[in-house]
Amino acid sequence: MIKELEEVKKDFLNEINSVATLKDIEQLKIKYLGRKGIISDFMKTIPTVPAEQRATYGLQINTLKNEFTSLIGDVTRRLSRGAIPRTEKELFDITLPGKQPPLGKKHPITQTIDDVKEAFARLGFDVAYGPEVELEYYNFDALNIPSDHPSRTDFDTFYIKNDILLRSQTSTVQIRIMEKQKPPIRIIAPGRVYRPDTVDARHSFMFHQVEGLLVDEGVSFTDLKEVLNQFIKTYFGKDVQMRFRPSFFPFTEPSAEVDISCSICSGKGCSVCSYSGWVEILGAGMVDPHVFKAVHYDAEKYTGFAFGMGIERITMLKYGIDDIRLFYENDIRFLSQF
Amino acid sequence: MKISYNWLKEYAYFYLSPQELADKLTNAGLVVADIKPKEDDFFLEIEITSNRPDCLGMIGIAREVTAAVGGSLHLPDTDFETGNTDITNLVTVSVEDPLLCPRYTARVVRNVTVRPSPEWLQKRLLCIGLRPVNNIVDITNYVMFETGQPLHAFDLDKVPDRRVVVRKASNGEKITTINGAQRVLFHTMLVVADSKKPIAVAGIMGGKETEVSESTRDILLECAHFEPRQVRRTSKELGITSDSSYRFERGTDLEGVEFASKRAAKLMKDLADGEIAGEVVDIRSRKCKEKMITLRVDRLHTVLGVEIKRDVASDILRRLQFTIAREVNNFIDVTVPSFRRDIDREIDLIEEIARVYGYNNIPTKTSIHIRSSGKTKYEIAEDCIRQCLTGLGFYEIKTYSIVDTSSLQSMHLWSDKEPIDIANPLRQEESRLRMCLLPNLINVKRYNANYGVERVRIFEIARVYLAGDTLPHEKTCLSVITDADFYSLKGILELLLQQLGIPSKGEWTPFKEPKLFKDERAAQVFLDGRVLGYLGEASKELEFKTQTSLLELDVDLLIESANFTKKYQVISQYPSVIRDLAIIIDERVAWSSIEQCIADIRIPFFKGVNFFDIYRGKQIPEGQKSVAFSLCFQAQDRTLKGEEVDIAVQTALDTLREKLGAELRKI
Ligand SMILES: [Zn+2]
Repeated sequence: MIKELEEVKKDFLNEINSVATLKDIEQLKIKYLGRKGIISDFMKTIPTVPAEQRATYGLQINTLKNEFTSLIGDVTRRLSRGAIPRTEKELFDITLPGKQPPLGKKHPITQTIDDVKEAFARLGFDVAYGPEVELEYYNFDALNIPSDHPSRTDFDTFYIKNDILLRSQTSTVQIRIMEKQKPPIRIIAPGRVYRPDTVDARHSFMFHQVEGLLVDEGVSFTDLKEVLNQFIKTYFGKDVQMRFRPSFFPFTEPSAEVDISCSICSGKGCSVCSYSGWVEILGAGMVDPHVFKAVHYDAEKYTGFAFGMGIERITMLKYGIDDIRLFYENDIRFLSQF
Repeated sequence: MKISYNWLKEYAYFYLSPQELADKLTNAGLVVADIKPKEDDFFLEIEITSNRPDCLGMIGIAREVTAAVGGSLHLPDTDFETGNTDITNLVTVSVEDPLLCPRYTARVVRNVTVRPSPEWLQKRLLCIGLRPVNNIVDITNYVMFETGQPLHAFDLDKVPDRRVVVRKASNGEKITTINGAQRVLFHTMLVVADSKKPIAVAGIMGGKETEVSESTRDILLECAHFEPRQVRRTSKELGITSDSSYRFERGTDLEGVEFASKRAAKLMKDLADGEIAGEVVDIRSRKCKEKMITLRVDRLHTVLGVEIKRDVASDILRRLQFTIAREVNNFIDVTVPSFRRDIDREIDLIEEIARVYGYNNIPTKTSIHIRSSGKTKYEIAEDCIRQCLTGLGFYEIKTYSIVDTSSLQSMHLWSDKEPIDIANPLRQEESRLRMCLLPNLINVKRYNANYGVERVRIFEIARVYLAGDTLPHEKTCLSVITDADFYSLKGILELLLQQLGIPSKGEWTPFKEPKLFKDERAAQVFLDGRVLGYLGEASKELEFKTQTSLLELDVDLLIESANFTKKYQVISQYPSVIRDLAIIIDERVAWSSIEQCIADIRIPFFKGVNFFDIYRGKQIPEGQKSVAFSLCFQAQDRTLKGEEVDIAVQTALDTLREKLGAELRKI
């Protein structure tokens, strides 16, 4: 912008800031935007400018004119609204709320998955993915789940066709990775899983799991305990206690369920932990030799462990969310809290 | 499994409070879900995993308690004297389907007095939530909860011809079960029948006609083994479950049948003054094969990471009632008891030892080697997209992959192939895997509008499911809805491309999809000739109250094209010169042509062109428009002189006139 125009703008801003009455603003309007006003004078000088700069020059004058018009409009509106006479000095009210630019948020499920990924990345776990529409083989057969197991019925699994289904667990990724890769293996696999449960506060036909798998020579149950201990301390906090309970999963042996001390009542017992002081957060175990057989690993040479947890579940525990449906309603008032 | 604290003490001696007992059981893998005081007793609800049907009886639980705390297991007395008449003179039994019923035993107890059970028995049943009926029925329940083996008592006088056949039902055969409901049977179901009709649905529920009543004199006591699969299927088909079917479904102990039968008969003699007929009918086609497993003691250390001595290991196994056949050097040979059908391999023994040794007594320590793990390009790109959009005020949402079959959901944005339907959906209306993301985002926008939030900025990154060869192609997509116009959303797309290190701005062609987009305000975008996605202002059909624009992109293609290697470009020490211009040009000439035309001139110190605005109005002739933009010039090695910039600008204007018929706008 040329210097003269900049000067004019500076003057104008000074003047409009000291305007106090509707009469003042009317005068200012005539001075700058009137038929014989300053802007009009500038317009007249356009033909005197060298031809190749004319367009730019004209454009700048126009921009300035629009700016002035809009500012005068604003002040006029404000003055005509305010019947209260102005005091000599306007209060610059520093207690007025700030103007917040909008900030979006990652979905709480994504945040949890990211937290879990990061905690395990520090322990050397890579991230792996697998298909959600799966062959029955990966969801059941290769995981040592017998052909008459109730989880295979269409009460417990969504089917597309005979041997094609929506995976009911992320353990499928274990098999896919081991088929492709020789030990050592250290992965986690987050993703969506599906089970035909009628939706209520605690159930959803779609939810997220993270599966973990570590296979190498000389891996034992103590390693499983320590890796999960590290994760739990990172994710839930240093003071959280951990408890292993024997359990049963077809694809691990020995199998365990892992509880953490209830953070709501610090282990004293409350409704969240059914008065036991413990809440279950994941299932785990040493990879069953049958699973190694399915992927042609030598079960004498290699041992490994696997674990799996529900993302919604640990998110609900961490934030005290009591209804799983909230995650999929996507109410902005919910999403903005995380 | 429901148990009574006092009752359990009959089989195992322990000095544990109910809470201590619960902790021991939970740590052994039998999770105690509930403890309640009941009169002078305690009720415990125990969750039994599907591999442990042997714990569906008090004796099984007692075995676990003795394994955990030591001491020996006390089994109830089953010795009795029999009457003079043999059972063979009283009833004929045959099994027509030995595969589905590998063992069937029958005893007869004569001249019983049916009356209420003694108080101690009633109390125990009440504690575990069973309603006492009469001594005979109570005894069958009591022994089932004691041993885990279901039994059934028939009123023998009501069995015509005193003949019992275990056979498949015929289609349409009927039975009225004890609970009074009439059931129509099917040829796949197994029944216990008299010479004509069914008197029980095998393993699930007895018939009303042969039910024990106060007038009953002679009892036919059935104790059998039915195939789990058969019982599970029939139970599901008929919609009946019972304590009996629950146990058969999970698998009962083929060798435990005799013990339970004798125990029940003895109680009937003792509590109902019955006389037990001599001998027993025991029709069996299968014997439980004795399993011998060798455990290598050093393997315990390999799997568990803790040293467990041989004698500690063998002691644990003995307490779980495994028979130690040989114990030498590194080896323990064990015989598996018949009730532990879940134990087949060395690893199963290792788990048993670990369980009783205590998972929480195994140290928490590791010696796994360190290993670095980096993010994949996929991770980096997804993070980058999320970071960009949340920074711009967009909320990430997550919506269901299973959607309805409406025409909006079935749009073929990404594939012409048929949608993928679920064979067994929860609800018929929602039975399809989604083929694009936008419809769900539209629903989320509407949902929020209903709660007063009209203007939303949301996005989702998720998969769509497109029919493929065997398995579908799962394409990851990004979908965005914003509260602004086409160009604002296009700007966000440009920003994403820049952040992902994609130099292209995409190739843009008009796109028509009236269900989604306003006519002429939508485009299909390509990246090097491949479809990147769709962008446009929302169609009136969507009935949004405020300005809304929609976007859906192929994330896989974005990530494939992304490039995160960055190289520093030297910043010029010399100032740049910017010249603002406005040209009048034919309405049909697109900005991309103007931009291309200027770029093609290849002015050496030309840095770029920036679009300002388009003006159509009084001073502009019909069919033309005024396009304002600035040209930026900069040299790396010197300050540009005014004259050389003037020449460059003039060259640009001349070229625009020549190639596109543009005129400099005069004001
Ligand atoms: Zn609690």
